[in-house]
Formats: sequence, C-alpha cells, structure tokens
Amino acid sequence: MRGSRPLALALLVLAVIFALAAIFYFTQKTEFLAGGTKPELHWKHAIVFTVLTVLALVAANFARPKSVRA
Amino acid sequence: MLGAGLILFLAALQGVTELFPVSSLGHAVVVPRLIGLNFNETSPAFVPVLALLHLGTAAALLFLYRRDWVRIIKGFVRAAIRGRIEDPDQRLAIMLVVGTIPTGIVGFFLQAPLTSLFGDPRAASVFLIVNGGILFAAEMFRRRDERRRAVGTSPVLAHEEDDPAYRGIDGLSLRTALIVGFFQAGALVPGISRSGITMAAGLVAGLRHEEAARFAFLLATPIILAAGLLEVPQLGSDAPTLGVGIAAAALAGLVAYASARFLLRYLRLGRLDPFAYYCAALGAAGLVFIH
Repeated sequence: MRGSRPLALALLVLAVIFALAAIFYFTQKTEFLAGGTKPELHWKHAIVFTVLTVLALVAANFARPKSVRA
Repeated sequence: MLGAGLILFLAALQGVTELFPVSSLGHAVVVPRLIGLNFNETSPAFVPVLALLHLGTAAALLFLYRRDWVRIIKGFVRAAIRGRIEDPDQRLAIMLVVGTIPTGIVGFFLQAPLTSLFGDPRAASVFLIVNGGILFAAEMFRRRDERRRAVGTSPVLAHEEDDPAYRGIDGLSLRTALIVGFFQAGALVPGISRSGITMAAGLVAGLRHEEAARFAFLLATPIILAAGLLEVPQLGSDAPTLGVGIAAAALAGLVAYASARFLLRYLRLGRLDPFAYYCAALGAAGLVFIH
C-alpha cells in the first residue's frame, strides 16, 4: 500500500477529537451522549474513547506514506 | 438478588449458548419464560451476574486459543508500531481489530436501546427463527456452491480440509473481516447469535466450517471480555455472594470451553443445519407458548 498523507492527517485529527472526548468523560460530570438523568462521570465512555484514540493513531500510522525499503 | 440455583442454571445456559450458534441472549429471554421462571435478563439484578458469566466465557475462549492470542497480541503491537502488515500473525491481529470495531461501537452506544426494544420474549422468539433462517441460508449457499463445482471440473472433496476451494482465516481479506464485523453487530438483537451470524458470514466468504467457527470465536473474545470487564463496577449490592459468583463464572467457563471444543470437532464434518432447525423450533415454541 502506497499510503495517503491526507488520510493519515484526517485520522490524526480524529484521534485528537477522540482523545479530547476521553479527557472530557474522564474529568467532567455530564449527561452528554451518555443517557441517565443526572450528571455523573461516565468512565466507560472515557475508556471507549481512549481505545478509539489508540485505534485512530494506529490507523494513521498505517495510512501515512512510507519510504520504500531496499 | 437472584437465588444461587437460578444463577448456576443461567451460568450453564450461558456457557452452552454463548458459543453455539443459537443466541445466548435469545435463550436468556425465552427459556426462563418457557419453563415458568419469573425472570428477565433485562432486569438490573441480572447485570452483575451477566458480567461474571461473560468473564467466565471470555476466560474459556482465551484459554482455548491461548497460543493464538499471544501471537495475535505480539502481531498487533508490531504492526501498530511499524504501520504495515508483514506476517500472518500481524494480518490476523489487524483483521480482528477491524472486525471488532463495528460491533464495539454499535454495541456500546446501542446495546441498551436494542435490548429494551427487542428484549420482549415474543420478539426474541421471532429473531430466533430469523437466526435459524440465517444459518440455513448460509448452508444453502455452501451446498449450491458445492453442486456448481460438482458439475464443473473442480471435484468436491469429502473433507473440507483437503479442498482448496475453501480456505482458512489466512485467506480472508481485511474488507471481508470488516463485513463480518458488521454482521456481528446484528447479534446485539436478542435471538440473533453472535457466533452464528459470524460463522454464516464466514461460510459465505468461503471459509471452511471449522475455520469459520475459529474466526467467530476469536472475533467474539474481545467483545465478550469487554462486556464482562465494563460491568465489573456493577458488582455492588446486587452482586451474588463471592462463592456463588466464582462458581457461576467457573461453571459458565467450563461449559463454554466444552461447547467450543465440541463445536470445533463437530464442524470438521458437520454443518450448521441442526442448529438452524433448533433455533426455528425454539422460536416457534416461544411464539406459541409465551403470551
């Protein structure tokens, strides 16, 4: 696979968004996109967004153009 | 809190039905009502029990494929760092990640609404019949392919292992793994089997029966483990006593291990049709007897 710099950058931006969401859910008591009736810490959402951050970074690493080895 | 006898019964039921292509969630919704137990898996009291049973089943799958998982984890780390796939272990690891993402995301955000929407025993009965139809259709496609080859130049061999027309997991493409992963998300509906729908998709993609089951089990392990681990904090006031909890998890694990070994052995020569007929019969019984 030749790789694509724009795709790698897009995945990197996605990873940053996921990381911010993870930090948000780890630190803020909220109901946002988490259901429930009162604001609370949603650590499950935080863990899921952390995993998605890692996966987006891995995907970005796959997508970036690589030098051809001899 | 649920009684110890009921918890152990549910552990055995979960152990058998989680890996057989017959839907553990569908059974947990339909069977207790059919045999007159006043119990519903969607009740909050069952959440900590379900977490323990999932952990037991996941432990059984991890033990069954322990050598594969060591290679898969090493392969994933190497592939993630290098950003390229260089050997079959790395390829399998990335296939499992790609195949797990659809179910992981859909399951995390939609599991509760889907369970409450379709968790009714009669709805689960209908989906059990649908599950039977999916298994039967997958075998029908396979038989049609075998018949087509039988009239052509390529002979159909008695043992799939000797037949080059059908392949192992190594022959799957990443795109196919992703499609199988999307199919697996369908198993969030009570009555649709996770292993059944992934085995059916694997068969349609040209996998041998035993390899389709292996891929289904490997693909199911992260989801079942995550389902158990994410519910561990729920092991609070409603949790069963430590002894009953450990016994239930161990029983679910042992039964799941035995079920997986049996199924892998059976599928060397057997087909999914008996499970299709069973699901259709159980679903029909649910529709007739549950009101």
